[in-house]
Amino acid sequence: MCGINGIFAYHYAANPVDRSELLRTRDHMAARGPDGKGEWIANDGRVGFGHRRLAIIDLTDGGAQPMASDDGSLIITFNGEIYNYRELRQDLEAEGHVFRSNSDTEVLLHLYAVKGEAMVHELRGMFAFAIWNNKRGEVFLARDPYGIKPLYYADDGWTLRFASSVKALMAGGRISTDPEPAGWVGFYLFGSVPEPFTTYREVRALPAGATLLVDAQGPQMPHRYFSIAAICAQSDGELATSYKVHNAQKQTRAALIDSVRAHLVADVPVGAFLSAGIDSGALVGLMRDVGQEDVTTVTLAFDEFEGQHDDEAPIAAEVAHHFGTRHHRRLVTEREFQDDLPLILEAMDQPSIDGLNSWFVSKAARELGLKVAISGLGGDELFGGYPSFSDIPRWHRLLAVPSRMPFLGEAARWAITAGRTFWPGLNPKSAGLIKYGGSFAGGYLLRRGLFMPWELEMVMDPAMARDGLQRLEPLHHIRQALDPMPQSSFAKVATLEASLYMRNQLLRDTDWASMAHSLEVRVPLVDSHLLVTLNAARRAAGGLDGKTILAMSPAKSLPDTVIHRLKTGFTTPIATWLQRDKRAERWKKRSSLTSSYCPWARRWAYSVGAA
Amino acid sequence: MNGTDIHVSALVTDAFGGFGGIAQYNRDFLTALAQTNCVERITVLPRLGDIPIETLPTKLRQHPAAGNKLAYALNAFAALGPIGRVDTIFCGHIHMMPIAAPLARLSGASLWLQIHGIEAWERPSRLLQWSVRQANLVTAVSRHTRRRFLSWAGIAPEKVKVLPNTIHEKFSSGPKSANLLDRYDLHGSKVLLTVSRLAASERYKGHDRVIEALPLVLAVCPQMRYLIAGDGDDRPRLEELTKRHGVTDKVVFAGHVPEDELVDHFRLADVFVMPSLGEGFGIVFLQAAACGLNVIAGNLDGSVDALADGRLGRLIDPLDEDALAEAIIIALSEKNLQSAEVVDRFSPGRFGLEVKGLLRHVV
Repeated sequence: MCGINGIFAYHYAANPVDRSELLRTRDHMAARGPDGKGEWIANDGRVGFGHRRLAIIDLTDGGAQPMASDDGSLIITFNGEIYNYRELRQDLEAEGHVFRSNSDTEVLLHLYAVKGEAMVHELRGMFAFAIWNNKRGEVFLARDPYGIKPLYYADDGWTLRFASSVKALMAGGRISTDPEPAGWVGFYLFGSVPEPFTTYREVRALPAGATLLVDAQGPQMPHRYFSIAAICAQSDGELATSYKVHNAQKQTRAALIDSVRAHLVADVPVGAFLSAGIDSGALVGLMRDVGQEDVTTVTLAFDEFEGQHDDEAPIAAEVAHHFGTRHHRRLVTEREFQDDLPLILEAMDQPSIDGLNSWFVSKAARELGLKVAISGLGGDELFGGYPSFSDIPRWHRLLAVPSRMPFLGEAARWAITAGRTFWPGLNPKSAGLIKYGGSFAGGYLLRRGLFMPWELEMVMDPAMARDGLQRLEPLHHIRQALDPMPQSSFAKVATLEASLYMRNQLLRDTDWASMAHSLEVRVPLVDSHLLVTLNAARRAAGGLDGKTILAMSPAKSLPDTVIHRLKTGFTTPIATWLQRDKRAERWKKRSSLTSSYCPWARRWAYSVGAA
Repeated sequence: MNGTDIHVSALVTDAFGGFGGIAQYNRDFLTALAQTNCVERITVLPRLGDIPIETLPTKLRQHPAAGNKLAYALNAFAALGPIGRVDTIFCGHIHMMPIAAPLARLSGASLWLQIHGIEAWERPSRLLQWSVRQANLVTAVSRHTRRRFLSWAGIAPEKVKVLPNTIHEKFSSGPKSANLLDRYDLHGSKVLLTVSRLAASERYKGHDRVIEALPLVLAVCPQMRYLIAGDGDDRPRLEELTKRHGVTDKVVFAGHVPEDELVDHFRLADVFVMPSLGEGFGIVFLQAAACGLNVIAGNLDGSVDALADGRLGRLIDPLDEDALAEAIIIALSEKNLQSAEVVDRFSPGRFGLEVKGLLRHVV
């Protein structure tokens, strides 16, 4: 896990790479890689790579980057982990390849030399990398299937720049600061900036599961090599028939064990975040099952919650005891929160309404000396843990017909918006129920929506809001995640949650919040191999509660208190603290946000956006 | 079509037999295209221009100019049959896209749009927006034009490339012409030059700002003269402006400069200045630098590309009068040695290779 960047002056009229710019961008990512730094600039000055290293596999200088192939014709800068690098290496060695180091980086170089761009299909892990192919005069960029690791690029028509973070790219000082209205509209609609957009027009995210080839004519269209929708649509069909219901539990456990084992590959200790939920608890149990003897776990605690249902610490401690981990309870106080808030806003790469709990739990893990921690992120998307899994299909069933009646959606929106004058407690999103509830994409917008499209002018310049809506096309944007369309309602919602909310919100927040503390977070429940197996098994399992399958997967099942505990959602007192913090008070300037019924997330979003 | 016998149809305002910057660009482009091995035939459909007197590149046939827009559109569609197979349609001006886009659809050809300057900077009509979205490749003359175009165009940024102007060998440094020194009475003077049309619709070029800066410059360099080459309906206003600033005797209006005298006019000067706000690229900066002049341009438009981010001249805030005066004073006192780099960076050879590379992407 590291920070990577590069500059490719691909156009004949462009000036050569400016070393100081390369280093400005690289060193803006110092926290992503405190263990080492490297740079490489081609002799002709047309291309240069930078790298900040957090050493986890092959801690020697053998793993230093940017790394060149033996003949110097390939150069790589790589961020992430390849969990199956040992197997890949064995295969390559059998074909006669000779390795100089024990790093996964070198495996990527050899694999590219053999397979070219198709190498991405062989990789299991989280990654973002760039390879300079000197013979072809091309840069090849790739990002992992789920988009766990970030990769942004900016093309001005002469020069392509890329980096692991938007703020690092901007720190180079050569990229237009023109805002991207679609990125801002996306942020206010969803609470996070939807890829491929960012808040800057010139900066784009390389989509998850995509590669990008840049030659003398600049970047070609990104090439999608992986799609969650395609996997889900497929397992709806022929794959499912190969499973028997009674087999589902066995298959799920085997797939989970396989993923957890893969995610423990490291030359440093791997710890785990532990909450009171099923996801993290089950993962800790599975870590023990695959033979990890010494597991360090960490849980956040808040004085405000002591003795309440919201307090996750006692149950987490019970789970830790259950599996015999070295457990740490980390108390977070309002004072610490206030001290950290400026640092949080600085570390936040793109505006986001979440990530604060990731910040503190990462901080706690790093204080314990951990460099790597396992997180249960992705469990809700994989096993249907969100209310959206019941809400969206229900709305679709009830509203499919009314939503198609001409003008009814608009009329209802108008009537309910007007009605809120008399009934201010009415959820502002209810105005969109008939308009959007009849389709999965619309239902998703309703469920995950922070503001509704017609409310954007409360927080944005109206012209920018209109422009952004036109460029983003929110419903089209959501529908794209469902191409090809999975059949079952569950698969549709799972695909939407994993392709949009998890990708743009959870994974991005986890990345900036953990990287700020030089901590690598690994997510065994966000794994393309696991998805393929589980979709088939889950389909066969019929109405069986998915989360129960997960809870029962460790050899020693989770305690009943965990399995039957009601989900608490965003269980930190941070919402309350935010409302009391002076620096998060920008929302008070907007009259539309001062109503006592205004959801706090809207106020926080405005404060983040205006920061 | 197997990738080695590409047929191109080019819809252009004017090319061979035409005048001005866009016609020159189109000639350079079509010549480069004709020199590409994989291109077998190019059919040019110009809307304007005279019958060309020069020899056309082999492989290239140019239809007569059609005149008005309707006749042009009808001709373009009518020509589709006789031309036969078309693999790529090149549209040399954004305003011709409502014709080019349906033609490309009808013929199954890929569509390549070239954009130049301010006409592509602001959001146009819905029809134009639609037709632009049909393009498989868009080439912009500068990064600035590309950025402005992408601010409204609903097209993937990866499809929008930059293809700058190219500079011809005839622009090179040389002695000052005695004839012109006599004509304008510039013996013993340091000469500041601007070359452009003096159109009221193109006041963004910045003659006003140069004239307003002259008193500051003259205070330091009293022997300096400002030569304004070019003519147009804005000239009387500019002449009036020189009176108002008391610099009438320091400013020379050369009027329209014929093509065969252009290089000598550049060589007559020491510094070229045009603090414009609206250049798509500004080929004139390259021409001036290639002729050995120090160049001053604004940093808010395509001029930034012509000056290669400041490598080939001074970029200033064109609205900052003091910065302009200061840049002129420094430039007048310095020797310029950059002409070789200009010619090399924007040479027709590099331009031709780029056209070939882009063609591979669009076909």
